[in-house]
Amino acid sequence: MKSATTHSQTLRWDIFCNVIDNYGDIGVTWRLARQLVHEQQQSVRLWVDDLTALATLCPATDTRLKEQTLAGVDIRQWLSQDSAADVADVVIEAFGCSLPEAYVNAMAARPDEVLWLNLEYLSAEDWVEGCHGLPSRLGNNLQKYFFFPGFTEKTGGLLREVDLIHQREQFQGDPGQPATYLASRGVHAEPGAMMISLFTYENPQLGSWLDELSRSPAPVCLLVPQGRVLPDLQRWLDVDTLRAGDHHRCGSLDIYILPFSTQEEYDRLLWCCDLNVVRGEDSFIRAQWAGQPFLWHIYPQDEGIHLVKLQAFLDRYSRGLSEQARNALQDWWLAWNNQQPLAAGWKELVKNWPELQKNAQIWCKLQSQQKNISQAIVIFAQERLSCTPKNLA
Amino acid sequence: MKTAQDIKANNVILIDGSPWLVQKAEYTKSGRNSAIMKMKLKNLLTGSSTESVYKFDDKMDVVILEKIDTTFSYKSDDLYVFMDEEFNQYELRAEDLESVLPFIVDGMTDICNAVFFEGKVISVDLPTTIVRQIEYTEDAARGDTTGKVMKIAKLSNGTEIKVPDFCNTGDWIEIDTRTAEYKSRAKAPV
Repeated sequence: MKSATTHSQTLRWDIFCNVIDNYGDIGVTWRLARQLVHEQQQSVRLWVDDLTALATLCPATDTRLKEQTLAGVDIRQWLSQDSAADVADVVIEAFGCSLPEAYVNAMAARPDEVLWLNLEYLSAEDWVEGCHGLPSRLGNNLQKYFFFPGFTEKTGGLLREVDLIHQREQFQGDPGQPATYLASRGVHAEPGAMMISLFTYENPQLGSWLDELSRSPAPVCLLVPQGRVLPDLQRWLDVDTLRAGDHHRCGSLDIYILPFSTQEEYDRLLWCCDLNVVRGEDSFIRAQWAGQPFLWHIYPQDEGIHLVKLQAFLDRYSRGLSEQARNALQDWWLAWNNQQPLAAGWKELVKNWPELQKNAQIWCKLQSQQKNISQAIVIFAQERLSCTPKNLA
Repeated sequence: MKTAQDIKANNVILIDGSPWLVQKAEYTKSGRNSAIMKMKLKNLLTGSSTESVYKFDDKMDVVILEKIDTTFSYKSDDLYVFMDEEFNQYELRAEDLESVLPFIVDGMTDICNAVFFEGKVISVDLPTTIVRQIEYTEDAARGDTTGKVMKIAKLSNGTEIKVPDFCNTGDWIEIDTRTAEYKSRAKAPV
């Protein structure tokens, strides 16, 4: 991959990833680690407490090894009894995970400056700009900062490989590539089918949408990577199990169950589709880079706070839409995330399809004009390490 | 030790041995049922201010600072001298009194809290409501008694404060020291 910037300084980075659930933690950190190595010429160690999660995304991972190199990244298994390794120049705690105490002590004792970053969750809310890049003064003469991904210039930007959009345009511009990719996954869609990918959390109302799709006047092809939504799909299909490779047909609707894929394969899946129904953080961002309409199933949080975050994104994303299209988009997204019936909202959404497609392309172009996170975080690190003395004021 | 989410405005936390006053503390839910605290902090030794962000479960040392009742005694060059009931004197520089300096006037009798850190006086807190006399203000515009029209009034130490148009030179007024705003007219202190 091309280098996005010229650096006078290669820093050593330690990224700590505590896998809590799903694949967001490891998805984001694995992607960031590779971009720092390949695009920013940095030296990166990725500490992961659950190598099986990484193995799902990167099958070359040997879960028995404490140390291994994958795609240029030094992968270390993070065990609680680890003594402190030699401390890097920049230390990232992903999503506020707690660093090992021994390592923090080693950071404080290191004679050279160490920059400690908390890479936070992505949000479209306004408060993010006011928190991005702020210090977190905790003492021990350690300089720690909060680094927020985001959708504006005043945030840390989004994860995006430097030539991603070019790759996607090449893929989508060559009719042979999507067809070849789909065939390699065992997918044989009917000509002219609406291609939809589905990778979400559980949704008991899924059937209300699938009913509508099965009655569609035109063929629909639903591609479902293995994941949490399968039980709901199973219930609708009235089958005992669903496995990768299964194919079902219901009226106009063809359903293919796909194996869980690598990040690169998942991108290609998204690029093949007219609509992507996604979840969490990493697939949410990838759907935006696909430049097609999508629905975001946001990670549910207590007291419905996730709906505030969903609305914040919707407000930004739908800003350029007509009132009719904006309402249709918001209604369907909210129905999905509130687990309400989906058929009526889907019909309204489809009426506004050309406008939604154009909006998706414009949004993708707008976001891709920002610095990506790997660029922004390297600049941030180099600025802070070059100008801050060891003792804080 | 408290966690960041337990910290409130006006708490004092210790960072690297220095006391920092929490001037503002905002709690915000981030992702996955986690939260962050954004705080506006002021170093009580140096006077420098900063904003900081914390994870909601970051541990913090909360300091209870010693406070002694004092009254303002006199000003000498750049030093302001306060005295307690036992006639002990405490000197502070103008820069240590930044937030209360506008309200310090000769002859004031307010009970002030002298704040100590490790045995050294670092600042003074005034009561939230004080009474001061208007040294000078323009005469009231004819006819206005609503109190909605405001004008500038000057205190004896040169501090300017907005007061309702019906206030006159020589009037005594109550001031909220937290906001530096006029509260109401007041009787002259005994």
